[in-house]
Amino acid sequence: MGPAQSALPLIFVLLIGLTTALRAQPPARSNSVNGFAGSNVCRTCHPNVALQFFRNPHNKSSVLPGVSLENAGCEGCHGPGKKHVDAKGGKESIVAFSDLPAGGILDACLRCHSKDANRANIRRSSHSQADVACTSCHSIHQPESNRSLLAKRQAEVCYGCHNDVRAQFAQTSKHRVNEGFMTCSDCHNPHGANSPSWKMGRRPLMVDTSLQNEQPCLKCHTDKRGPFLYEHAAVRVDGCESCHSPHGSMNARLLKRPIVFTVCLECHNGAGSFGRQSNGVTIQSASHNMADPRFRNCTTCHIRIHGSNADRTFLR
Amino acid sequence: MNKAFNSMRHARLVAALVLANQAVAQPTVAPTPETAGSPRGDNWGEYNITNSWEIGYRFHSVDGNTGKYRSDVNFGNGVRLLGGSLGVHSRNGRGKLFDELLLDVQGIGNDPYQLSSFRLQKNSLYRYDLLWRSNEYFNPSLTVAGGNHLLATNRQLQDHDFTLLPQSKARLRIGFSNNGQNGAGLWTGQWFDTRGDEYTYLADLRRTQREYRIGGDLEWRRVKLSVTRGWESFKDDTRFGRPLLAAGANLVDRNTLTSFRRDEPVRGRTPYWRVHLHSEAAASFTVQGRLTHSDGQRDFVFDEFAQGTDRLGSERNRQVLLSGRGRRPVTTGHLTFSWRPSPQWTLTNQTGYYKSRMDGEGRYSELNNGNTGLTLVSFQSLGIRTISNTSDASWQPQKWVGVFGNYHFSERWIQSTELLEVELPSGSKPNEQVNRMHSGTGGVRLQPVKPLRISFSAEAGRNDKPFYPTSDKDFHALNARAQYRLAKYNISADYRSFNNSNSTSLFVHSSVGRSWSANGGWTPRAGVQLDAGYSYIHLDTLTGLAYFANFAQVDGDRSYYVSNLHTIHAGIQVRAKKRVDIYGGFVRTQDRGDGRSVANQPARPEFLLNPATVSQFAGVQVFPVSYQSPLFRLSVVLHRNLRWNAGWQYYDYTEKFLKLQDYTAHTGYVSLSYSF
Repeated sequence: MGPAQSALPLIFVLLIGLTTALRAQPPARSNSVNGFAGSNVCRTCHPNVALQFFRNPHNKSSVLPGVSLENAGCEGCHGPGKKHVDAKGGKESIVAFSDLPAGGILDACLRCHSKDANRANIRRSSHSQADVACTSCHSIHQPESNRSLLAKRQAEVCYGCHNDVRAQFAQTSKHRVNEGFMTCSDCHNPHGANSPSWKMGRRPLMVDTSLQNEQPCLKCHTDKRGPFLYEHAAVRVDGCESCHSPHGSMNARLLKRPIVFTVCLECHNGAGSFGRQSNGVTIQSASHNMADPRFRNCTTCHIRIHGSNADRTFLR
Repeated sequence: MNKAFNSMRHARLVAALVLANQAVAQPTVAPTPETAGSPRGDNWGEYNITNSWEIGYRFHSVDGNTGKYRSDVNFGNGVRLLGGSLGVHSRNGRGKLFDELLLDVQGIGNDPYQLSSFRLQKNSLYRYDLLWRSNEYFNPSLTVAGGNHLLATNRQLQDHDFTLLPQSKARLRIGFSNNGQNGAGLWTGQWFDTRGDEYTYLADLRRTQREYRIGGDLEWRRVKLSVTRGWESFKDDTRFGRPLLAAGANLVDRNTLTSFRRDEPVRGRTPYWRVHLHSEAAASFTVQGRLTHSDGQRDFVFDEFAQGTDRLGSERNRQVLLSGRGRRPVTTGHLTFSWRPSPQWTLTNQTGYYKSRMDGEGRYSELNNGNTGLTLVSFQSLGIRTISNTSDASWQPQKWVGVFGNYHFSERWIQSTELLEVELPSGSKPNEQVNRMHSGTGGVRLQPVKPLRISFSAEAGRNDKPFYPTSDKDFHALNARAQYRLAKYNISADYRSFNNSNSTSLFVHSSVGRSWSANGGWTPRAGVQLDAGYSYIHLDTLTGLAYFANFAQVDGDRSYYVSNLHTIHAGIQVRAKKRVDIYGGFVRTQDRGDGRSVANQPARPEFLLNPATVSQFAGVQVFPVSYQSPLFRLSVVLHRNLRWNAGWQYYDYTEKFLKLQDYTAHTGYVSLSYSF
């Protein structure tokens, strides 16, 4: 046990003490700015929303002590409602999300939701750039599930715009998203991701990372992570997508080509200054006879193709 | 009052549309998306309870290649808890023990895709989340991959996360994850030299990864600090049995394997730190910093004994002993600035840093026929350091128009060493290279009328020294999308393309990818919804090849791969008299290849420079195939709390060239959904 691990109980006790002390502080004073009507008034005309709102995660803002008026209940998102009440309704007298531009919706939600690490890139994400706002995917009052307030099942939300991805997952070999076993957010961060640690830090966009900031594939496929004595540099430098199509493929191993040897030979041709030694990616040895079908299934012999501890050519 | 009535009516319409949407989107025939019981639930003391449980019998029949069916679909027969949900909420948000309990399950019993998610929380005090998943994975690797490397494994994933004081300014987080893979496999190997014969042998897979994590968040004024400390452990105790046959796959040599044993346990651990800092100096200016460091390590031993005859017929016994360690420390950092000088402008900049150094050493000993043979001390290292910077700007001068753009620069330094039979790694001379990439993107988004959104973007980039012949070098991408959405119908269309050219003096790799798609949905009235779409994905790549055939090197050959994938999907959902829900759907995927009807008939022979290879490789330039799956489902309300459901789904997989993997299958189910 290292010193960091031995200090864990102490850190735990300190955190408990600190959190308890902070929680014991008196609640913040209500911000009784003029113009607020209070959520109870909203119930009169919007009973359908109010009656079901106790299930909504945002209901916490109504029931927890110490939440200021401008952050509490209906007016926490929709702004002061007194003018709306006086006008007997109307979208022009209140913050109506259906009338807000995408940037305005983002601003409104990020007032509370900006601090989580997984939303650090939301301003620069492809979704924000294309005017995909929070309410494009989330339905606050009519969610499919109260867990993340998505309007529909997650895959269907994503397929709604990404039709080509729906087609990729309609192939025979695919990750089991349609079956409900996986979700898009197992691999992607729809709120924007940090620059990836592979493939020159540019692509792919919106992809989450796993333990060592590697490709998200390694969250589940842990045996491919290594570290290995002999790494297949393709995996580390350009990522799993060098050889695989993660959404779907006609190959049972999700390879980019239906037949394995074409994947291998397209890099292992000895040409140019490619590869880890800058003298071309190693061409196969003369003992391989591609005229013989026996030699066209590369991974029959190179079984440890993701990395090996025993053989530099991944034979065992 | 009238307004309130209208509001409730509108809500019912929206709820009906949402329900219909879920139903149309259902990708597999079961579980049934319609639930039993009232969505408003029942009150029990201070709590409100909603629940629905679907129990039924699933059945299937397959005609054709059952291995391919199990690889693609894998539903079997038997009684299942096809789906279920339970929600318990405190009505006043101040429950005694908890305020929210959520439980969702799917496929429990013996379905290949089982999952369960559970949440328990009490406002401001604690929150606990559990996600458990189990997958019965079958992959025979199929004819196109040589039919080797079969896997019939079970993978179980579970994630536990507990947060203390989740709504406080100081939070404590504790988590645990487990990822296990167990089951049977068939692997291949070769003995007694690298030109030896291939054998298929049994494997009993036993792999486990565990991760423990603890962390906390602190908020002070406009600053939030999050720290996480974690430990990952990995062990692989896969056992290997003897080959199924004493003779290998190559019938013309004299290689045999009469005795075989292999053990290669692996133990690993990766402790890590993650620190995230969020600061809002002002409402319009945000700074985010993230730093992570991990130390990956794997210890391994390898012990193998094999006995038989080599390819020349001489008796052989060989023992291989290996031990060593692989290491990979990784440090990453990201610093992001976001500035909103006015509501029209958003400016962001992110600098990323990634440094990894993989190294390791191993001692390899080989005994041949009882005599000490090869002894090697191996060392390798692969160091990667990437620095990237991306600046983004978005400007929205009017509500209906906005423009955006970004510039990206990254520099990657790679140092590599591979050595065998070295005394000291320090004596090695590593190879170093530096790659630089510049890319820029520009785009425009329009909303000329409220329901219509249009966006267009283009990107171009250059990489001065790509790592592989297939890596991005000179590339450009186009994206365009239009979407028209009203309450009752929506239509959308999009186009994407990605072109890459990577050339050297002798070889060329170029790839062209394009996709068109269109989708539409129509809800003529509450309870009726139609949805249909079409996608076309084109890919063609051309790459230089070099290989050996009949002991002669073949240079200048080319791999030309063409895929033209057409996909259509359609579905209709009808709810009749609030008692009967009917759904019909259809999906068809077809890769037309390049249109040829015979495997060894290249449509563009100019891409095969060596005519002698036409018969060898022409058949792998395309892979024409079709896959279709209609489904039908019926759900009838028998009582307020009871539904009867039945469904059928058909699968038809057909390859154009070979018929060895073709299959047709029927899956179906009958079930009752009950709410107590």
